[in-house]
Amino acid sequence: MRTIRQSFLLAGKDLALELRTKESLNAAAAFSVVILLLFSFVIDPGTEEAKEFGSGMLWLVFAFAGALVFNRGFSRELPNECLDTLLASPLSAASLVLGKAIANLAMLIVVEIISLVVFGLFFDIRWWLRPAELAGVSFLATWGISVIGSVFGALTVNLRLRELMLPVLIYPLLLPLLMGAIETSIKILANQPFTDYEWLWMRVLVVFDVIFTSLALALADTILVN
Amino acid sequence: METARNFTFMFYGFTAAWLIVLLYIVSLARRGARLRKELEDVKQLVASNQAEQRSRVV
Amino acid sequence: MRKKSIYLLAGAGGLLLIYNLYRIFLVLPDEAMQGAIYRIIFFHVPSAFTAMSAYFAGLVLAMLYLSSGDLKYDSLAASVNEVGWAFSIVNVTTGMIWARIIWGIWWAWDFRLTSVLVGIIVYGGYLMLRKAIDEPTQRARLSAALSIFGSIDMVIVWKSIEWFRTQHPGPVLSIRTGGGNIDPAMEHMIYWNWLAIGLIAMAIVLIRTGQEAMSREIDSLRRLANAYESPISEAVTHE
Repeated sequence: MRTIRQSFLLAGKDLALELRTKESLNAAAAFSVVILLLFSFVIDPGTEEAKEFGSGMLWLVFAFAGALVFNRGFSRELPNECLDTLLASPLSAASLVLGKAIANLAMLIVVEIISLVVFGLFFDIRWWLRPAELAGVSFLATWGISVIGSVFGALTVNLRLRELMLPVLIYPLLLPLLMGAIETSIKILANQPFTDYEWLWMRVLVVFDVIFTSLALALADTILVN
Repeated sequence: METARNFTFMFYGFTAAWLIVLLYIVSLARRGARLRKELEDVKQLVASNQAEQRSRVV
Repeated sequence: MRKKSIYLLAGAGGLLLIYNLYRIFLVLPDEAMQGAIYRIIFFHVPSAFTAMSAYFAGLVLAMLYLSSGDLKYDSLAASVNEVGWAFSIVNVTTGMIWARIIWGIWWAWDFRLTSVLVGIIVYGGYLMLRKAIDEPTQRARLSAALSIFGSIDMVIVWKSIEWFRTQHPGPVLSIRTGGGNIDPAMEHMIYWNWLAIGLIAMAIVLIRTGQEAMSREIDSLRRLANAYESPISEAVTHE
């Protein structure tokens, strides 16, 4: 309970900082719009094809934009020894990782909303027709991505080649989550109800969220504290 | 299924398997040789530093 | 001691391998459906087993390191994971050559093959991560954490052929199916070759840990050399 309260405190701090500078958000949002623009040359907008591939494209955009956000997550604490101060404070390492994950989630959801609006305009797809499923899938998948992004942001924070190592390490681990998100989003974009197949993938999303979150909390001390 | 091609690919498979292991062992041996040389160099460095220090104390 | 064990393991593995090759090529008949190419299974499956057991050992060693803080476990874990990685490559390469004949394609994106590829990327990332960190305890901590995350994928690799309908053949070994899917003589051959490859893999692990110990010695000597050159020791000497 204490950990959760502390992590919300930390996430609030990060989000306030982000609202003031907007450095991650601007970069991530601009990046996703550029990628969507580039994809419009690959996939014909307005066709059935666009609906089918749109889901995969969207989640790749979110994952790529995520890496930009996650790279900043812990490295923003490096100047002025802020990370050491945070670790020396009574906050637990787990709450630090969880707090960063919550901040990542909030920022990624903002990026997702912006990209969805742009995507709807560019590709002429009505993505808002199944809001409950959309919210569920987005939350579950984005949470898993954010937690992994937070842990591996912490893991790579002191590395040279940090920007390079983070994507190499997180994308293969995120593959099951991304597959689940893509498979279920196809139905959402096509405005069709979920079948057993999609519910199976929803279960995959839940299972990986639980595994990733518990591993992240269990390993937070190992990764952050020397 | 043509038997000849089948047989050739079996041969490729076995060759590939052992070629990879062999390449790995060669790279290990080279790394080992480099480490041994580095160890010698560092040992010499430490010895020369110690000798220098002794001469300074005297 | 280490040298002797390496020669012993490699020698035993090598001899067993030669005997196995004789059995594989000259005693066992061609498989009824696949012809000669099926013999690749005698390297494909044992190298997969070797890689999986190596990654599993890597997971156990990572947890041992985290609970004890003894760098000995870390260098062993690094060696085991690297050897596992090499045998994963052998596994995938032999599998692809077999697939070209039997499926007509080099690669199929089913769950088995994809999860194996993910494993290769994750453990390749592990080896990259180790190269990117110089400080030994930090390297040990972070790579142990990564190998715990990586082992999730190994469970998927292992179970994927039961959970999903894959292009990759389903379980055939009697330990998983209860028997009847493979000729016992062929199944035994797989185990014997696993033993041979496993012995050779263990010899490589020993060589690799020896190198890890050597690089630790180099690091500590280097620190010693720097200590002599540092200003503090200069000051002490001049007094």
